[in-house]
This record gives sequence, structure tokens and C-alpha cells, in this order.
Amino acid sequence: MAIIETKDLTYTYPGATTPSIQDVSVTINKGDFVILTGPSGCGKTTLCRTFNGLVPHFYNGTLEGEITVSGLKVADHKIHELARHVGLVFQNPENQLFALSVEKDVAFGLENSAMPRDEMRKRVDWALQMAGISELSERPPHELSGGQQQRVAIASVLSMQPDIMVLDEPTSFLDPVGAEKIFKVINELNKKLGITIILVEHRLDLAAKYANKVIVMNEGTVALTGTPREIFTSEKARLIGVGIPKATKLYQHLKRQGVTLKTVPVTTEETANLLLEMLNHD
Amino acid sequence: MSVFEGFKFRKVSSVIHNLDPRVKFFFVCILFVMAIMFNQFLALVVLFFIPLPFVFMARVNRQWLRSLRGAALLAVFIFATNFIFGYFYPSSSIPHVDGAIDTSMEYFALFERAAAMTLRFVVLIASFSVFFLTTSPDHLGLALQQSHVPYEFCFAFTTAVRFVPVLADEAQTIMDAQKARGLELESGNFIKRVRNYIPILIPLIVNAIRRSLELAEAMESRAWGASDKRTNLYKLNLKRADITMVLITVLMLIIALYIWLFIPVPSLTSLLFT
Ligand SMILES: Nc1ncnc2c1ncn2[C@@H]1O[C@H](COP(=O)(O)OP(=O)(O)OP(=O)(O)O)[C@@H](O)[C@H]1O
Ligand SMILES: [Mg+2]
Repeated sequence: MAIIETKDLTYTYPGATTPSIQDVSVTINKGDFVILTGPSGCGKTTLCRTFNGLVPHFYNGTLEGEITVSGLKVADHKIHELARHVGLVFQNPENQLFALSVEKDVAFGLENSAMPRDEMRKRVDWALQMAGISELSERPPHELSGGQQQRVAIASVLSMQPDIMVLDEPTSFLDPVGAEKIFKVINELNKKLGITIILVEHRLDLAAKYANKVIVMNEGTVALTGTPREIFTSEKARLIGVGIPKATKLYQHLKRQGVTLKTVPVTTEETANLLLEMLNHD
Repeated sequence: MSVFEGFKFRKVSSVIHNLDPRVKFFFVCILFVMAIMFNQFLALVVLFFIPLPFVFMARVNRQWLRSLRGAALLAVFIFATNFIFGYFYPSSSIPHVDGAIDTSMEYFALFERAAAMTLRFVVLIASFSVFFLTTSPDHLGLALQQSHVPYEFCFAFTTAVRFVPVLADEAQTIMDAQKARGLELESGNFIKRVRNYIPILIPLIVNAIRRSLELAEAMESRAWGASDKRTNLYKLNLKRADITMVLITVLMLIIALYIWLFIPVPSLTSLLFT
């Protein structure tokens, strides 16, 4: 069942001469884990902003085409209505946390929605626990590490129990270990709670294994959509410069040498298993 | 900026820290009123000692002293201004003085007067500093909100407090970066020195604007403005300690009013010279 559906979506920022996204038609199903990737400036962030109405309601400009999110037409609903269904996590953790304690930040959206205190307390504790940061609840966010801050940001949209969570390069300020932790948290939300995930990411080595769908954008348009395996082995993706995982690169290299593995791997473990299997077989 | 040092909150727990910020604010305001009511040196000395037990109970003596030390320069300035002004215009506002200041008693009276005015300032700093040292900005924001200050103001307040250290860090980084490129901050006359700061201010302002846009975007994405009846995760409740504190404050005010109305406070000069 489609939870996000766009049709010929074109958007131009106020004052800009060319559209930042053009004729974008994508369908994202409930429960999907989608990776959105593509070169810098291709319009990934802009597309994410259309999902909760920041585009066009916050940025103005001209939006053409259609977009429906959780059954709501984005053009007809305010950002705060859409915020109940779509949570956005941004790149810079520092600029999306504004309270003086972690739990207050996590409660922010609920306070705005006028939730009664008792219920709010439960929700906040639940969200903190899901993000694995219960022990940080009273700390000031600005004294935490980047990875912890980003988990606070995740908890603070999670507390609103959205259907969809959009994360725009949430790990670009983090080291690989911090990034891995974030991906694990996101994956749990997707697999355990069934939240639809849209993850904008360049570092596909770490994230690819969780996704069931990849969308590649280029110069404001959708260049490719498909399963990770389809995308990573396509010639077009390589030409656009998608950060194809090393495991898949190795697969292709071996194939050119005349060694074809049984399936296309996206992680190192998968590759290792496939190779072992092949060696034992011989 | 050592004056501000004394106003920076550090998370500790004590009876005083846990008091309702509204109660503490009431106390500080009453102290303020009393400092304005009395202009006699002796009365102000007594007032100066009133916040002391609270400072010790909250165990913030070191920071508190630091804020007083930070205010020292301003205090000296106030003293000097009062002294000089009083010397040239020895009006009837200085007791025991008639005509020009020439006798030792008149000098002493002038001195006492200037000291009282300075002490008044010190009392204000001392009591407000206790308030800020023992009240978390979060609590303060909450107190504002429960006092029916519009939420936008409270939010602006807590956000400002939260971003002060961030902006201070950023200013330092920009300063270092510009110095590394050869910017000299401490050279030239006054005008030149002010102008030296332009290459620091501009990136700082641009960054702050960009940051505020990102913040606005994040706020919108978390349902900012969804409901007129915004709720709050925390709630302030008056506890027994708070009520005790209110009673102490009211008692203080009654005593002060009684003294003010019925008991003339003697001046040091009159005690020493008669
Ligand atoms: N607020 C804005 N106002 C005007 N133009 C903008 C704005 N934000 C982005 N753009 C333009 O829209 C285009 C797409 O930008 P966008 O940020 O969506 O790209 P991106 O794919 O997210 O890039 P990156 O990987 O660098 O984050 C760019 O040409 C950019 O200059
Ligand atoms: Mg982007």
C-alpha cells in the first residue's frame, strides 16, 4: 500500500530560475526502508522537504504536480498536521535540538500537540528507550556527542509516533561507529514498529543492507529506482557516481574475471559467505 | 566576563535549588524593594547579609564571590561618582552637611553616603546572583510560562540560553581562523580596534541567521503551533519548603516596613561624631 505517492512533482525555490526537483514520480510503500541517494545538489533534501510540507509551506516557491503522504494531500495541509505522520531528522544535530534537557526536547512535539502530561511522560520514556538513550534523559543536549545528539533527534520525532521517518544524511557528522549505531536504531524502528524509513545517505556500505529499495536522483530528477541489488549492479548508477558498496564492487570485479557468485552481495559478510560456499563446493 | 560567570547555572541539587523559581524571584524582588526603601549605610549592611545563609545552603559560595568580584569595578565606579558628585554638590541630601565639605565629619558623612549607594548596588547583584546561580534556565522558562507569559517569549528565552555557549564557541573559532589569516585584533587606536572586529562579526551573524533558519525548520517539523493550548512536560508545584520561604519573605518585608515607618535608622556619622 502506497504511503507516499508523488506525480510529476516539480518545485522551484523562490527567486531561483530552474526547478530544484523536476517531474519526480515515486511511490513508497508502507513499511519500506528506502535509501535516497545521488550526487550533491541533485535535490534530495528538497524532495524530503516536500514529504512534510516544508516545501511549499515554509519555503514558499512554486510546487507543481501532486504529492500525497499518509493519505493527505500535502498542498492542502499545514506542516503541523503532516508532522503527526512524518518525522524529519536533519543533518546537523546541533540545530534541531533546542531544549535544555534531552527529555524536554523529546517532549517538544507532544507539548505542541497539547498532549496531557501523564500520557506525554509515557511516550517520552518509550521514545528514549527505543533510541537507547534512557540514561541521558536529564542531560543538556548540547553537552552530548554528535551520535548521542542524533539519537535524541530521532527520539524527538519518534515520540510523535509517525508513520514515516525521513532522515536527511543523519550520519554525515559522525564517525563510522556512530553511524552504524544510528542505522541499527533506524532499522529496529522499521522492522519492529513498521515505520516507513526514508534515509538520505552517501555511505551505502553501512546502510545498504537494511534497505529494500533505493532511489537514485540526478540533477533534480529520479534517475533510477529498484532493489539495492538491481541498482548497485546497474551501469547507470556507476556513471552517476552512486557510492556502490565495496562488496558489490568485488562481485562485479570477480564477474569480469569469470567468477560469478550465486547472488549479488551488498555486505562484506554476505560476500565472505558466498566465497566460502563457492570454495567448499569446488 | 566574570560578572556573567556569577549568573551561570550549574546543575546541583540543594534545598535552595529545588525551591520554586517564582518563590525565589519573589524573595529577590522583596530584597530589591528593601534596598530601594533604605538609603542608610547600616540598613544596607544588614540587607547585604540576608542572602548569605542561602548562598551557603546552596553551596554556591565560590561562584557567588566570583560574581561579586566581577562587579567590583562597577562598584568602584559608582562609589567614585557618588563621592565626587557629592563633593561638588553637597546638597541637603547628605545628612550632617551644611555648606561646603570641609570638616572631617562632613567628609565622613559624604563617604558614608557614597558607600551606602555602592552597597545598594552590591546588594542587588548579590541577591540576583543567588537567584540565577540556583535556578535552572529550564525552571525559569517554566516559571515564566506558568505566570502566563506568552509561550513564544519563554521559548525564545530558553533557546537563547541554550545557544549562548554555542555562539561563544563559534565566535572563538572564527576569531582563531581570522587570526590565523593575519587579522590583528589588538592594534591601532580605538576606532581601528572596533573595525578589526568586523571580519569576526560578519561570519558570526551569517552563521547565526543560517542556524536560526535550520532551527525554524526543525521546529515546524515538530508540530510547532499545532495547538493553542500547549501543554508542558513539567509542572511547578508549591511544596512545603516554598511556602516556608514565602512566609520568611513576607515576614522580612513586614519588619522592614515597620522599621521604615517607626524606627529611624541612625547613620554611622551621627553615631561616631555625637
Ligand atoms: N533554501 C533554498 N533556496 C534556494 N535554492 C535552494 C535552497 N535549498 C537548496 N536549493 C537549491 O536546490 C538544489 C537542490 O538542493 P538540495 O539541497 O535539495 O540538494 P541535495 O541533493 O540535498 O544536496 P546535498 O547532497 O549536498 O545535501 C541546489 O541547486 C540548491 O542550490
Ligand atoms: Mg541535502
